[in-house]
Amino acid sequence: MTLATKLRGPGWYRAAISQPIAFLFAFGLVALVRSLYGWDPVVDWEAITTVALITMPLGFIVGIGCFDYWFRWAAGAPTVPEDHSGHGATKWQDYFKVNTDHKVIGIQYIVTTFIFFVIGGLTAMLIRAELAQPGTQFVDPNTYNGLFSVHASLMIFLFIIPVFAGIANFVIPLMIGAPDMAFPRLNALSFWMLPTAGVMMVASFFVEGGAFATGWTAYAPLSTEMPVGQQFFTLGVQFAGASSIATGLNFLVTIITMRAPGMTFWRMPLLVWANFTTSLLVVIATPFIAGSQFFVLLDRSLGTHFFDAGGGGDVLLYQHVFWFYSHPAVYIMMLPGFGIISEVISTHARKPVFGYRMMAFSLVAIVILGFTVWAHHMFVSGMSDWLRVPMMITTLLIAVPTGIKVFSWLATLWRGAIHLTTPMLFALGFITMFTLGGISGIMLGIIPVVIHVSDTYFIVAHIHYVLFGGSVFTIFAGIYHWFPKMTGRMYDESLGKVHFWLSFIFFNLTFGPMHFVGVDGMPRRVADYADEFATMNAFISVSSFFFGLSFLVFLYNMITSWRNGPKAAANPWRAHSIEWQVSSPPPIFNFDEIPTVVGGPYEYGVPGAVHAVFKEEGAPAKATPAPAGGGGAPPPGE
Amino acid sequence: MESASVALGRTHDEDQHDDHHGPPEANQSSRIDASLLGMFLFIISEIMLFGAFFTAYFFIRVVGDTEWPAPGEHLPVVVAGINTAILISSSFTMHWALEGARNENRAALRVGMLTTFLLGLTFLCIQINEYVFIGFAPADNAQGSIFYGLTGLHGAHVFVGLTLLAMATTRAFRGHFTAKEHRGVEVPGIYWHFVDVMWIVVYTVIYVI
Amino acid sequence: MRRLLRKRPALGMALLSGTATAVGIAISLAIDWFPDAASTASKDIDNLWDVLLIASVPVFVLVMSVALYSVFAWKVKPGDTSDGAPIHGHTKLEVVWVTIPFVMVTALALYGWVVLDDIEAKEKDPLIVNVTAQQFAWSFEYPALDKVKSNQLVLPKDRRVELRVKTKDVIHSFWVPEFRLKTDTVPGLTTKVRVTPNRLGRYDVVCAELCGIGHATMRQAVRVVPPGEFQGWVSERKQRAGDGGVAAAGGDTAVAGKTLFADTGCTACHTLADAGSEASAGPPLDDLTKDAAKFGKREGQSAEEYVKTAIEQPEAFVVPGFTKGTMPDNYKKNLSSAEISTLVKYLSDVSGKETK
Repeated sequence: MTLATKLRGPGWYRAAISQPIAFLFAFGLVALVRSLYGWDPVVDWEAITTVALITMPLGFIVGIGCFDYWFRWAAGAPTVPEDHSGHGATKWQDYFKVNTDHKVIGIQYIVTTFIFFVIGGLTAMLIRAELAQPGTQFVDPNTYNGLFSVHASLMIFLFIIPVFAGIANFVIPLMIGAPDMAFPRLNALSFWMLPTAGVMMVASFFVEGGAFATGWTAYAPLSTEMPVGQQFFTLGVQFAGASSIATGLNFLVTIITMRAPGMTFWRMPLLVWANFTTSLLVVIATPFIAGSQFFVLLDRSLGTHFFDAGGGGDVLLYQHVFWFYSHPAVYIMMLPGFGIISEVISTHARKPVFGYRMMAFSLVAIVILGFTVWAHHMFVSGMSDWLRVPMMITTLLIAVPTGIKVFSWLATLWRGAIHLTTPMLFALGFITMFTLGGISGIMLGIIPVVIHVSDTYFIVAHIHYVLFGGSVFTIFAGIYHWFPKMTGRMYDESLGKVHFWLSFIFFNLTFGPMHFVGVDGMPRRVADYADEFATMNAFISVSSFFFGLSFLVFLYNMITSWRNGPKAAANPWRAHSIEWQVSSPPPIFNFDEIPTVVGGPYEYGVPGAVHAVFKEEGAPAKATPAPAGGGGAPPPGE
Repeated sequence: MESASVALGRTHDEDQHDDHHGPPEANQSSRIDASLLGMFLFIISEIMLFGAFFTAYFFIRVVGDTEWPAPGEHLPVVVAGINTAILISSSFTMHWALEGARNENRAALRVGMLTTFLLGLTFLCIQINEYVFIGFAPADNAQGSIFYGLTGLHGAHVFVGLTLLAMATTRAFRGHFTAKEHRGVEVPGIYWHFVDVMWIVVYTVIYVI
Repeated sequence: MRRLLRKRPALGMALLSGTATAVGIAISLAIDWFPDAASTASKDIDNLWDVLLIASVPVFVLVMSVALYSVFAWKVKPGDTSDGAPIHGHTKLEVVWVTIPFVMVTALALYGWVVLDDIEAKEKDPLIVNVTAQQFAWSFEYPALDKVKSNQLVLPKDRRVELRVKTKDVIHSFWVPEFRLKTDTVPGLTTKVRVTPNRLGRYDVVCAELCGIGHATMRQAVRVVPPGEFQGWVSERKQRAGDGGVAAAGGDTAVAGKTLFADTGCTACHTLADAGSEASAGPPLDDLTKDAAKFGKREGQSAEEYVKTAIEQPEAFVVPGFTKGTMPDNYKKNLSSAEISTLVKYLSDVSGKETK
């Protein structure tokens, strides 16, 4: 291939060449507009950066080839018939191309998000190093504020939210018996927006004034006054959010229109339910964070007055709009984990999920209630007093559906045949720590308590108990559980267990003590603190370093097992759901023929029960009376 | 369980050997067409984005209790009203074009698409003209910010809608779309109707009330 | 115990978890969670906290005992291909675990509401203090007491106080951990904290909302004093404004300056060895003499003029490497001219001096 063809065709060459072009375009556009208006200076670097932050990521996405098909379609040119060349991966280089195969995209998502997880983790290590002693040691306060802001933004927008999308991308179409997602090209686009958003956030460290330093909440008017690094957050979030919305929409359409015959809503595995409800949240709520960041962008770039009290704007507007997304975002980060835990516990305890229908209903209840609680983040914000008590009540009510889930998992364990595999251990660890996080969540719902503990380390402890002990543990459980399916190889079970125990112990030693320093009066987001907290913080820092090291065990296990692990059987866990009924890794088009669903997904212990059959087998499984898997359904008599 | 485990070996092996065949046809588990559903969900998302801007409007005008429009400023209610009528009529021509596609009436499809596009373009031009002569800027005060915010957000949607319509129009003139296969008209059409309806809300809230 | 668990698992578990609950509650109540309680609200909130602990421990113990019991009772070896019991649900049980949490959280919400009303209750004739936050300092004004201004918050014991909190720039959060009370300072709004301090002592006003580079060190003193002493302090404040606090320090300008330096909140942003402060939002003042010589000369200022300008018009000149607008520009308004001269003299004297 000559260089010219390389540059014309989709791929990294074209993406690379797009970058200087996009930058020059931004530079020229800003200079042109400013000189036309007669503004001084004509070369305004903040304006150029802002425009470049829009054109360069777009240039990259176009260059890599996400839009080629659509451009042809839009021009009305005859479309190239689908030859499935952009499907499947045979060598590692294939993962670096625009690919429309949901399994490849799933792996791309997971690997990319774990890279950002590592970067986010390293920033956390730097944060703890600085906090090991009172005073300023390694970084100045501005860098410190940048570190925790980037840490939170990466973990939330580039790890937890998208890694669930990655796992679901791989698993959901298989689980519902679909050959792919509903919109494979949109799926590829969603993925490629993600690394651009992540690179933007990390790149903010290298601009004048340092990284965005306003926390992941980026409260106005601080965020409208900070140096140009803030723009990297404001615009990075737009790309991550757009990616999130596109994926959510894709999941919804896939789940609604592409289920295998016989798979009614009441026969869907709970992970499918979880992603269905999560995607609803994503599609409905995410535009609000886009809105909040648009306002910040406009205030910064055009001098509007959305958050300028002097000009008639309203500062609390930012928080209302921001939390109207960001509280549901907590459930966006938790519900898929709930789904994973249901799969893992049921499979590894060899029992039907207890109260299947209530499990599904409680997901729906959380979605609905989730939209009515945002202002509990604002109990001391100075918002209208009357809004507080209703928000306190709805907040506490969320404990009811969440309680249903925890109790149902416990009841699923009860009288099971429990295999303490690594995913099961992570599931059990999740239940423990999520219960603790839930309890501190109840405390945080009660206004007089929050008046004291808001913006303290108690909050830091709480969110890490729900997001690390909660979400990230479910992610680990899911990664271990589906590792054989995704890679076709088995991970090392003993290393997995070592990873679990190290992270479980050091997680608690790191974040447990934060409850105490928080209630005792240490505010969060501080580079320096009162001497009375020195001992506790030194302890937390040391624990956190060991906690960080525990991740290396995971990384080592994943890399070596993926390369050299023993070949995995198609169904090592003897699970019933459809993804386990195909080979590991799954065939390029998932199925030769779409399976037919004949029963609930978790009929463990029911003699002869089957979830799905492949028609060509000719198995007369149709005779099965097909229990819906719901609460109290009688076991099928065969 | 048994029957399922028998199924495993086969699916994979077969694939290894004959790579000529594509994926199996997906089961249609719902009566609704995937691309229509996708567009509806996208519109829900868009409504929420407008929702965020309406929230800003609510805070600035109602919670902040500011004068509307800001003292000394004036909103061209009548011109914008005529513009509204133009945009609404484009919804009817859009419907006409779609009916044309459904009935294989190529002339109706082409003329309908072209008229819709031109009406939309007229709306956008009048809107830009309004910005030029309205006499206040987004940076003047919060009322100005949200005025430009909401109408600008809507304008951006008109622009996106026009782009989609341009594609559909191009394809209509190139002879695409049949009575059976006309989603390329239908889906942009739905988006266009959404843009129109949203304008009625924006117009009411900004100019009328 | 082992035998009991095997023979009568329900009874054994109930005993075990009962004990664990009792121990858990005892430990959680024995922990000294809070800083000193220095307001009437503290007691209410601390009691509420204890109730929450008592309600939480049994829930956690229940979850843990069921999980652990299941694991120990029904763990199987790898390779075991048996399945668990095909139990799909149990309606009565599910009703129970919907109802009980519902009742519990409703009760807690009501209790929380009562406490909230209690701590925010209005009382007649409160002492009003206007609190102003800015990057990165607090200032206080007593409108009913001849508009006395201060950079430390002094409150009489056992008197209802209404703090009216404002900000000049971004959002901060006014928090005195010992009072358990907090409110954000919101541009364009005046938020309120009602508090009755009931314990003498010196505490900190802590900024709890991220407000920029000086956020971590944005803290100043609160002193709760007997009512008599409070009156004395008010008149002393008026006098201080006249002589820069020199008389109060027994005529020692160095002592007066050091006190003023700390009370004004300079320590939040500046490193100064003599005052024992280590903060880096603003230029280190140990270099002040050097800086004054270097930059002041350029402007044709004497060292003292340079320092005075730096306090009164911080925008006029910013030491390279630091951001314009970080230093508040209202010290000229908040401090009397006598106080400013005390500060200038103090700073010029101690800058660069090593502490023993």
